[in-house]
Amino acid sequence: MNSSFVISNAITLACIYGTLAIGLSLTWSSLGLVNMAYGFVFALSGYGAWLVAVNISDWSPVVLAAGILTGALGGVLVCAAAFIPIHDKPNFPLRALIATLAISLVGNQMLLWYFGPRAKSLPRLFGNWNADIFGVIITSDKLGASFSAIVLLTVVLLWMRSSRRGLEIRAMMMNPHAASIVGIGVRRTGFYVMALTGGLAGLASVLLAQTYYVAPFSGITPMVKGLSIALVGGLGSVPGAVIGAILLGINEALTSTLLGGQYVLITQFLLIIIVLLIRPRGIAGILDKAREA
Amino acid sequence: MSDITTPTWIDPTGAFEPEKATREVATNPHLSHQVTWAETRRFKPAMHPVGRLRYYYKWPGHGGALWWRTRYWPTRRRVLNIRGEYNPKTMRREKTIADKRPIWWTMAFTGFLAMPFLIPGSLWNTVMAAAAVFGIYAAINLCWMLIVGTAGIFSLASYAVVGAAAYGTTYAAILTGLPWWTLPLMGCFIGLVFGVIIALPAMRLDGFYYALLTLGVVELCRVYVVQSRVLGSATGGLYGAPSYLPASFGQTGKLLLGYYASLAVMTAALFVFRFVHGKRLGRVLRMAPEKKEAFAEACGVDYLRARVTVFLVSSTALGFIGGFYAIHFGGASPNLFSFDTLLLSLAMLVIGGIGRSEGAVVGTAIVVFVDRVLIDLGPLRYVIIGGLMLAVVLFLRGGLFGIKAQFRNWRDKKSSEHRASRAEKGGEMLPEEATETADKDKIFYRRFDKMQRDFLKRLVSDAVIDEHRTRPLGQHSEALERLLIYFRRQGQIDKYAILVLREFSAYRIVALSGHRGTAPRMVEDRTYPNADEAYHALFLRRVQDLLES
Repeated sequence: MNSSFVISNAITLACIYGTLAIGLSLTWSSLGLVNMAYGFVFALSGYGAWLVAVNISDWSPVVLAAGILTGALGGVLVCAAAFIPIHDKPNFPLRALIATLAISLVGNQMLLWYFGPRAKSLPRLFGNWNADIFGVIITSDKLGASFSAIVLLTVVLLWMRSSRRGLEIRAMMMNPHAASIVGIGVRRTGFYVMALTGGLAGLASVLLAQTYYVAPFSGITPMVKGLSIALVGGLGSVPGAVIGAILLGINEALTSTLLGGQYVLITQFLLIIIVLLIRPRGIAGILDKAREA
Repeated sequence: MSDITTPTWIDPTGAFEPEKATREVATNPHLSHQVTWAETRRFKPAMHPVGRLRYYYKWPGHGGALWWRTRYWPTRRRVLNIRGEYNPKTMRREKTIADKRPIWWTMAFTGFLAMPFLIPGSLWNTVMAAAAVFGIYAAINLCWMLIVGTAGIFSLASYAVVGAAAYGTTYAAILTGLPWWTLPLMGCFIGLVFGVIIALPAMRLDGFYYALLTLGVVELCRVYVVQSRVLGSATGGLYGAPSYLPASFGQTGKLLLGYYASLAVMTAALFVFRFVHGKRLGRVLRMAPEKKEAFAEACGVDYLRARVTVFLVSSTALGFIGGFYAIHFGGASPNLFSFDTLLLSLAMLVIGGIGRSEGAVVGTAIVVFVDRVLIDLGPLRYVIIGGLMLAVVLFLRGGLFGIKAQFRNWRDKKSSEHRASRAEKGGEMLPEEATETADKDKIFYRRFDKMQRDFLKRLVSDAVIDEHRTRPLGQHSEALERLLIYFRRQGQIDKYAILVLREFSAYRIVALSGHRGTAPRMVEDRTYPNADEAYHALFLRRVQDLLES
C-alpha cells in the first residue's frame, strides 16, 4: 500500500462523502430536518440503479441517471412521510429525526425482505483503464467517481445560485418563516429540496458502488460519514462541508499511512470532537448564522 | 294575522255613559310583553340528558377516617395520593384517587412475578428468554430516559456505554478470572469513565449536534469491535465471562433465575429513575427545558451541572447494566453497537413516550414482544416496529402515555369551538360596530328596541287594524294601544305627520324633517277627505314600516 494509492483513495471517498454531507447539510439548513433516512435513500437508489442495469441497459449514463432518479424519488417519499405531516407541529425537529429513523428502519428491512441479504454489484461505469497523473497511477473508477461527483455538485450549486427554485431554497435557508411570508411555499420547497438531496444520495450511491457493493444496509456507514463531515463543516454550510470533506479525507489518508487502517475512525472522531469543542457549530457555521433547531 | 278565536275588548269608558250600549271590538288574545325577552334570553344549546361525564370514580368517604392516612415508613409519603372533598350536590364526603400509577405498577409487578407460571408450555422457552432480554433492555432504556427525558441531552450513545462496559468487564474477566459479582461493579467504573468522556462535548454542543456526534461514537465503537482481533472479531463477539447462573440448574431453572435477576435489575433501574427524576435534580432540570435555559440560569439554576450529574449517574448505572449483561449472556456481542439496536431501542422510548418511566417499560415490552416472540414474521417484524414508531411520531405528541393528555386537549379544543359557534348576535348592533360606539347606552337601547319591535310585530292583526279604522282616536284595546305608544314615541326625524290642506276636506301625509326651518317632505300625493281616514292611512304606513324593519 503506497501513499499515492491511499491519497487518491481518500480524495475519491472525500468527494463521495462530501456529496452526501452537502445533501444532509442542505436538508437541515432549509427544512430543519435531520434526514436520518438518507442511508435508506442511498441503498434504495443503489438498488434502483442495479435493477436498471440488469433489466434495461448497463450503459453508464443510464445507470447513473437511474440511480439519481431513484434517489430523488426516495427523497420525495421521505418528504411526504416525515416532513409534510409534521412540519408545522410542535417539537418538529425531534419528531422529524425519529420519523426519518423509523423510515430508515422500515425501508432497510423492506429492501432486505425484497432483495435478500446478498450484495449486488453494479457494472463498471467508467471502463477499465488507468491514468498516470504526475507518476501516480489512478484507476478509472476513482477518477470517474471524483470527476462526476465534482461536476454534478458544481452543476447543483450553480443551479442553486442562479435559478428561481434555488433562490427559494436559499431563502428558506436564511429564514424559513420570512420565506413563507414572502410567498415561498414551505411544502413545495420541501419537495424540491428532498428530491435534490435524494438525487445527490443516488449519485453518491452509484459512485460508491463502483468500489463497494449494493446491500440493504450499505447506506448506514456512508450516512454516518456524511453526517460527521457535515458536523465538522457546520450543518447548513456548503463550503463548510467541502472543507470538512477535505479535512477528514486528509486525516484518513494520514492515519492509514502513519498509524494503520484500524485507527482511522478513532482519529476521525477525535478530530471531530476537537473541532466541535473549539467551534460548536462546525468550521464554517458561525453561531448566529446557524439554523436554530 | 287572522286569529281563530277572537276575543272582544269592551271599552271601559262605556261605564261613564251607562244609558248607551257599551262599545265592543274584536281584538287579539293577550300576549305577554315578556315573550320576546324570554325567547331572546332562552338557553338554546342542546344539553345531553346525562350531564357532565365523571372521569374519576368517586369512592365514598368516611368522616372518622378523614385525617387517617397510610404512609410508608421512613418518609411521610402516602401510599396513594387520595383527594378528599365534599360533593356540593349531595353534601357527602367523597374520595378521589388523584394518581392511580401506584396501583398500575403494583398490578404490573404482580403480573411480572406471576408471568413464568402463566405462559403456555410450547412458548415457554422463547418467552422467558425474551422476558429476560426485556428486563435488561427496560433497565437500559430507563437510564437512557434519564439522559434524554430528564437531562434533555439527546445522546444516542447509551447502548455504546453498555457495550463498552460489557466488553471491558468480559475482557478483564477473561484475563484475570474475576468472580461474577465483581463484573457489574467494574462495569459501573467503566461506565463512569466512558460517561465522562462523552459528557465533555455535551457541555458545549446542543441538540442535534450532540445526537449526531454520539451516533458517530456508536459507529466508531462498532467498527472498532468488529475489527479488533482481541475483542473477538472472529467469533462474532467476546465470550467467556463468568455466569451468575449456577451450573447445577437445568435450562428451566436457568431461564427462571435469569428472568427474575433481570427483573431485579429493572426494578433497581426504576428506583434510580425515581430518585433522579423525582427528586431535586429532576425538579431542577424540569425548570430548564430546551430553549428556556437562559431563564433558568437567570433564576439561579445551574442546569449544566445538573445535566452532567444526571448524565454521569445514568452512565454509571448503564455501566452496571453492561456488567450484568456480560454475566447474563456470558460475554458481549457487537450487536450492542449496531444501528439496528439503536433504532429498536429508540423505538422503545418513542412508542412509550419520552420522559416517563412507564413509557420506557411499556415501550420496551411492546418492541421486545414483536422482536423476540413473533420471530416467525422475519423482517416483517421490523417493519411493524418501524410503522408503530412512525405512527406514534406522526400522530402522538407524547407517545402512548401522552394519549390521555392529548385527547383531553383535543376534547377541550372541540368543546370550546362548539361554545364559540353557539354565540349569536345579541342585538341590532354588530360586534365591530359596538366596539366603535362611544356611547354604550346605544348598544343596549338598540338591543331593547329590536326585542320590542319583535314583540310589536306579533301584535299586528286584522282585528287591531280594523279597530283602528273604526276609531283612530280615543280609548283602544291593549294591543293597539301598545302599537300606538311605540309609534308616537319615535324621534322627530322622518316621523309621519298630517298636513291640513283645507280644514275638514283635504288632508295629506307628510314626513317631518326633524330640523327647525326645514319643511316637511311629501310622502304621497293622495289627499284624504277627513281626518280619521288620514289618521288610519298614517297608521297603516307606520305598521308597514314596522313589519318591514
